Amino acid sequence: MNYRLTVNGRAAEVDVPGGTPLSDVLRDHLHLRGTKVSCGTGRCGSCTVRLGDRAVASCLLPVALAEAEPVTTVEGLSAPDGPLHPVQEAMVSCHGVQCGACTPGMVMTLSTFLDTTADPDAGQVREALTGNLCRCTGYHTIVDAALTAAAATRTPREDRP
Amino acid sequence: MTAPTRLARPRVEVPGSVDEAVRRLAELGPDGAALAGGTWLMRSPAPPATFVALHRIAELRGVAAGTWGALTTHAELAAAPLPPALRALRTAARTSAFPQVRNVATLGGNLNARGFAEADLVPALLALDATVEVATTAGRHRIGVEGYLRSAHGDSADPAALLVSAGASAPAGRRSGYARLTVRGGGEYALVSVAISADLDGAGVASAVRVAVGSVEARARRCPEAEAALAGTTLDEAAARAAGQAAAAVLTPRDDLLAPGWYRLEVLPAVFARAAADCLTDPATDHDTGEAP
Ligand SMILES: Cc1cc2nc3c(=O)[nH]c(=O)nc-3n(C[C@H](O)[C@H](O)[C@H](O)COP(=O)(O)OP(=O)(O)OC[C@H]3O[C@@H](n4cnc5c(N)ncnc54)[C@H](O)[C@@H]3O)c2cc1C
Ligand code: FES
Ligand code: FES
Repeated sequence: MNYRLTVNGRAAEVDVPGGTPLSDVLRDHLHLRGTKVSCGTGRCGSCTVRLGDRAVASCLLPVALAEAEPVTTVEGLSAPDGPLHPVQEAMVSCHGVQCGACTPGMVMTLSTFLDTTADPDAGQVREALTGNLCRCTGYHTIVDAALTAAAATRTPREDRP
Repeated sequence: MTAPTRLARPRVEVPGSVDEAVRRLAELGPDGAALAGGTWLMRSPAPPATFVALHRIAELRGVAAGTWGALTTHAELAAAPLPPALRALRTAARTSAFPQVRNVATLGGNLNARGFAEADLVPALLALDATVEVATTAGRHRIGVEGYLRSAHGDSADPAALLVSAGASAPAGRRSGYARLTVRGGGEYALVSVAISADLDGAGVASAVRVAVGSVEARARRCPEAEAALAGTTLDEAAARAAGQAAAAVLTPRDDLLAPGWYRLEVLPAVFARAAADCLTDPATDHDTGEAP
């Protein structure tokens, strides 16, 4: 069966059974390997992508349910030659990345969350991250990154230190 | 070169109406299953060959006063402006799972996930005395959620029965609340979950109390002993704890990797106290953000 998706602003068509997880389509058919699959059971968040305005676990989402709304993966968050997304920038500057396995999922969850919660406190960030596991950082630096990104987003780029 | 063989994935059919979905589910029998958000089905070790996807059926969407379409997500319920009488459902939805799952998982999927002791919306809907509209090949009917769960999870369940919506009434003076306990702060299945609904008179004295306990036994269930213990009280902490003890005396708890059965009984009074406090939360001063604590 052919499925027509919009991924990172581009139209894509894949011929797979509709029950194929979106993560497999992204990685194996569209060669977008930024989306990581760690648990494959919805628990770890490393496969998080954006579907419309929602963060979803792409390992659990049948591709048949992904046609109606645009999909954004970590590859689509900033242009290849453009500046990083504020969350990506803050993950680097706050040392929110160690092995990196969780990072694309963290970035997709946080960028989606900050779109609706411009001025979160640390507690809200932790709540937003309950579906994203990290085995390396201990989370503090990721929470710092989220708060730093939120502050940076509220400050126009040219006014930033 | 052919791509490496992967697991056989189900094919997906996309009916446009409830009648068409019911007809296909009846034809497919055990080889088909309704697909809502897929957060349960996609983890099935042995999925059926065909998913009958519900997402194009407009009738299954939408939240009206006291009625929620089967495709309403946990996130939508968490954000819905529900009156204090229906607060238990909102708290249950808000504190279940975590954003990536709440954004996709549906009410219909939660009520129909088989063998799922920890389904959060189930005790809430039991306490709220909810009714559901069901479509079958024989037509539509409305029944109480308790009866629906009994037949949907029984051995002779009708594979073509489709949950269309759930609803509950919200009389003035009714309050409800919900609480769950997890090993870590959140994002996990509940070890114990408690939903309470009661009609409070002018002095705050409770009558028409309904209590449901989830996660402790294999299926969530009403607990008349706890209801009797709360009737005539003001849902204060001491009364709630006593009701929790009454529940612990009659429940047969499960052991699993998260907790032994005795622990679930031990914490019941504390979770009852939190659920009662949730009932009494003043809606005017309730500034929570819609995210799980
Ligand atoms: C990591 C993770 C954590 C989770 N944590 C929680 C939690 O804390 N609390 C909790 O309650 N749940 C939790 N869930 C479990 C569960 O997936 C969801 O609760 C959920 O509501 C299922 O909804 P769905 O739409 O995804 O169901 P689906 O997977 O689409 O369907 C589930 C079952 O219901 C049937 N079905 C679906 N819709 C209908 C309908 N309208 N009529 C008849 N049958 C129907 C399907 O055929 C299937 O058998 C979690 C899931 C994951 C992956
Ligand atoms: S790989 Fe999808 S949640 Fe872990
Ligand atoms: S950086 Fe290694 S899992 Fe998060």
